[in-house]
Amino acid sequence: MRLVTVLYLGYLVAPIALLFVGSFGARWTNTLLPDGLTLQWYLDVLDDSSFRRAFLTSLKVVVATCVIDTLLGVPLAYAIHSAARRGVRVAARILTLLPIAVPELVLAFGFILVFSSDALPWLGSTEVLIAAHVVVTLPYLLSTLAADMSHLDLAELERVGDTLGAGFAARFVDIVLPSIRFSLLSGLIMVAAISIGEFQISNLVAGFLNRTYPIVLLQAFYGATGFACAATVVLLVLAFLAAGGGALTARAAHAR
Amino acid sequence: MTVRFENVTFRYPDRRAGVFDIDLEVADGELLAVIGPSGSGKSTVLKLLAGFLEPESGRILIDGRDVTGTPPRARHLGVVFQSYALFPHMSAWRNVAYPLKVRGVATAERRRRAVDALGKVGLGEFVERMPATLSGGQQQRVALARALVFEPRALLLDEPLSALDMALRAGMRDEIVRVQQDAGIATLHVTHDQEEALSIGHRVAVMQAGRILQVAAPIELYDRPVDRDVAAFVGQANLWPGSVQAEGRVRTALGELQCATDGFPVGADVVVMVRPESVLPVEADSPGPNRFLGHLAHDRFLGSVRRYDLAVEGGVIRGETRHRMSLSAVRIPPEAVRLLPEASR
Repeated sequence: MRLVTVLYLGYLVAPIALLFVGSFGARWTNTLLPDGLTLQWYLDVLDDSSFRRAFLTSLKVVVATCVIDTLLGVPLAYAIHSAARRGVRVAARILTLLPIAVPELVLAFGFILVFSSDALPWLGSTEVLIAAHVVVTLPYLLSTLAADMSHLDLAELERVGDTLGAGFAARFVDIVLPSIRFSLLSGLIMVAAISIGEFQISNLVAGFLNRTYPIVLLQAFYGATGFACAATVVLLVLAFLAAGGGALTARAAHAR
Repeated sequence: MTVRFENVTFRYPDRRAGVFDIDLEVADGELLAVIGPSGSGKSTVLKLLAGFLEPESGRILIDGRDVTGTPPRARHLGVVFQSYALFPHMSAWRNVAYPLKVRGVATAERRRRAVDALGKVGLGEFVERMPATLSGGQQQRVALARALVFEPRALLLDEPLSALDMALRAGMRDEIVRVQQDAGIATLHVTHDQEEALSIGHRVAVMQAGRILQVAAPIELYDRPVDRDVAAFVGQANLWPGSVQAEGRVRTALGELQCATDGFPVGADVVVMVRPESVLPVEADSPGPNRFLGHLAHDRFLGSVRRYDLAVEGGVIRGETRHRMSLSAVRIPPEAVRLLPEASR
């Protein structure tokens, strides 16, 4: 049992460890490990204008996706949660989970079809890229929020708020929003992590000048190995930060 | 302030359950307890008054004004929920101050009034505590303070003690009565605990299958239930079918009983009710009417009393006594026998 665990962990960690090692190695050709120690690859990545632009595009897309997800997700999750009829809730859950079930490739083709038409010729714009990320990430935020809302028995808290004289707006601001603040935060960090690493749709929908970081990264593997490793490590660190932050907020929320 | 139900009927859309032809009045300062088995419609009555449900027909009047169609927030009623439903992200005083906040009371003033209200329920030292750090009984008090701080027109309590430990309940009962008397407010108290209802209600309404069977003061309800269902639900009772044999005599499966038969003609079918505490253990050879010989089928020691079932010819007599001797004979005093109509409806 322990052997299997160790083997599995090794299998999981080895590629990532090799990436780290490779990003600091001066030369790496036809050997198991590179030799020489250098920071040059990181400086090269920093110097590369297409990587810098991709990094900024990724940040822009992540922030915009989080903002739009919040503006759409909170009211939507609330509407699903408080839908009177069970059938409506089930249908809404299925609809919101569809983007997870449908292969991203299919979604991407849909975007290409719609936005390369004469009526909506916006394929390749950052706006469409952001829209695609919203479609892919929103279900995760919705299910996190909806689960928390029913776990907290928000309906009962709202009923009591109603008897105490609070109208809808007051209840939403004073009761609903503060109650879901932890799940909103951990949901958004998950959204950010997914958006940072998203490749499939971005690759097909983004234009040449607004490619996101993972897409430009793919190009790096056609060049020097050390450079590709360094560029990947940058993405890994970002993703780890997001995932770690998500785990910590989830724990804080759980400890309430 | 008074509360009044006039012919109120409500049916749940997906079931045939609901409440039917409810007529009920809660006077100013009165505590009316509503009891009944689960599914009897007692919570529905509370939800109709609170405004969570709207009656299909009939009217609900608060202080003489029809509130049909008025949303809960405009009814000015203090409601204490079974789950307490404290806002988990607000401290005790902020919870209590919330109804004042939505009414636009200034921060300093609402804090003063919230702290004052918490003091009245004995939580003066807990104003800054978060709900999760309070015990069930303390949360209950915060909920009570929150429901009363804005001087509502009536107080609605939905099984407020059912989530508490047995030991805490008796104390909280007294607390509720004290706070309710202090506020002098019409109160509707829904519970499934008949002891709770009898001990704190000025009057008690018994519900079954969506209808009110009887509304009466606790002693009257216990001594003079209108029918078999009320007698069976309120307290313990021996209930035997019988028929009036002659003036002052009733025939049952146990034999003939001497008792007052006022109001029942000879030959009428009746239900004979005898409360267990009025059944008297006697010596086997003692004289007198309504004496039964038998053997103990069940003997339960409950601390302050002992509840026994004496198997006699034709049936079982349940009795309660403080004595701990062995017993084989009981006497039912004629004045302890109460005759109920076979059916009141």
